[in-house]
Amino acid sequence: MFADLHFGALRELETGRGWTGAEIAARVVSRTDRLRVHGLRRGDRLFILYGNNLEFFVDLLAAWNVGASVVPVDNRLTPFELANMARQVTPKIALADKTVPPALADALVGLGCQVIDASELSVAPSAPYCAARLDDEALILFTSGTTGVPKGVVHTHRSLRARWLGLRQSLGIDCFRRTLCLLPTHFGHGLICNSLFPWLFGQELIVAPAFSPYLLLRLGSVIDEQKITFLSSVPSMWALTLKGSKPPQGQTLQRIHCGSAPLSAHLWRQIQEWSGIHQVYNAYGITETGSWVAGTSIADFEPEDGLVGVPWGAVIKILHSAAPQAPFAPGGVCPTGETGYVWINTPALMQGYYNLPELTEQVISGGWFVTGDKGLIDERGRLYLKGRERDEINKGGAKVYPADVDAVVESFAHARAVCAFACDDPAYGQNVAMAVVLSRRDDATLRELQAWLKAHLADFKIPQRWYLVDELPQNSRGKISRAAVQERCAALQPVDLVSLLRRG
Amino acid sequence: MDREQQRGALIEFLRTIQKPDCPLAELDDQSGLVESGLIDSLALLQIVSYLERSHGVDFTEGGIDPEELRSIQSILDLIARAAPK
Repeated sequence: MFADLHFGALRELETGRGWTGAEIAARVVSRTDRLRVHGLRRGDRLFILYGNNLEFFVDLLAAWNVGASVVPVDNRLTPFELANMARQVTPKIALADKTVPPALADALVGLGCQVIDASELSVAPSAPYCAARLDDEALILFTSGTTGVPKGVVHTHRSLRARWLGLRQSLGIDCFRRTLCLLPTHFGHGLICNSLFPWLFGQELIVAPAFSPYLLLRLGSVIDEQKITFLSSVPSMWALTLKGSKPPQGQTLQRIHCGSAPLSAHLWRQIQEWSGIHQVYNAYGITETGSWVAGTSIADFEPEDGLVGVPWGAVIKILHSAAPQAPFAPGGVCPTGETGYVWINTPALMQGYYNLPELTEQVISGGWFVTGDKGLIDERGRLYLKGRERDEINKGGAKVYPADVDAVVESFAHARAVCAFACDDPAYGQNVAMAVVLSRRDDATLRELQAWLKAHLADFKIPQRWYLVDELPQNSRGKISRAAVQERCAALQPVDLVSLLRRG
Repeated sequence: MDREQQRGALIEFLRTIQKPDCPLAELDDQSGLVESGLIDSLALLQIVSYLERSHGVDFTEGGIDPEELRSIQSILDLIARAAPK
């Protein structure tokens, strides 16, 4: 089934290790066989606990050959978070390597999942095998994972192919000849679009450690040395590069994408100036739509705040409402230039959230997907984003769901109420803050709370600012408003966590 | 300011940008600041601003060599090299 996909060469930037397309093909056949020997079957789910290396891509294709779906896992998660995901999707096998903390593997073993050291999967001559079907589940990407109901976005082979074909039709493939991936491969943007789209159309993919600060500080010379033609990014990465890296001189770079968080017109121009190329695109994408779904694909444009551009393999409408019946309501479409809710119709749309039909029905209606973003379409048909209504904190492109943080804090013995919210951060754009009502406020309790967070939440999700309050503001329906909490906390002094923990 | 004073000032600065639960006292001068988990990768930018502001280090010509920001020792060496002779 994957014979029509003609993958290119793969190379690791830091180690220099690389495989040609033919070597990859042989390894995929062999790994497919090994996974079958270990009992993986069509319809099973496989966790891959590593990423951004050659083996990840080979194992992904091998699992697809078997007919299994793959859950790429961020191995910075805590065992608590990983176990929660595993309970939801019940993986048959998890592949680990030396980068995986043993506690993560132990958490999966405790749930009856077979954890295999990927380095021990031998490479042996095998016969090609492929059991996958177009509508089989291919990828499950978790967009939240610590509450009782982790949200796994399910893409089938069909939806992924629709994304790649749509991109090829809209963007061509020439610019992607030597693509650099600086983003995590457990991240929809990094995996589906930055990596798999070019690589599965025969282009060379150079994989780097995700978000490596030392790499970002020498990005210009990396682009020159590797003759990079394309890379994708998130806005927060550019602060280090613009400050520390000399611009590329080799004139190989043709195209840059920036996505997963709002790109200001100012930063957009700075990236254009640094790179020396005009083709710097604000790429709009959501995991549920297979990532990039629109961008500024017109030849001549001026960067503007919120400007996205035109759809890539999708139809975008601005509707007055976010309710499920909105796409079919007479008069529901906003006039040109009026702000409303952004709805997307694309064959690359996810199948749904794993085992969460009710949640899926809230966002998908007759093939239309409500993004949670607000925006408008101008008279030239270009999409502008005007704000987000999604309940998420965008920490430099990594999404943190306040409800996940709330759930962990609420289970702390001395917590009476909590509300996590976004606070401004000069480096990340946003960071995680919380207002918390505690039954005890002594230093020892606060240190216990920090330890509790550390045990249950990945580092990047732990609130960096804590506000101790007596109560949380509620609206007339008794609901806590994150915006109201954020506003009230702006006038308060956060806990001095560094001093507090030092005293301990 | 001698090296010991520079070290003291640097440590005081690092306390303002460090992750709360990583004890700075347990870190030796050769340890990687990011690798040890003391600071976020993007906090390197704040160290750059600190060096420009407090020690007059000029990164505009030569850019930033990531190795020079890796540890307390390498940062102190950078300050020493950048000091007017």
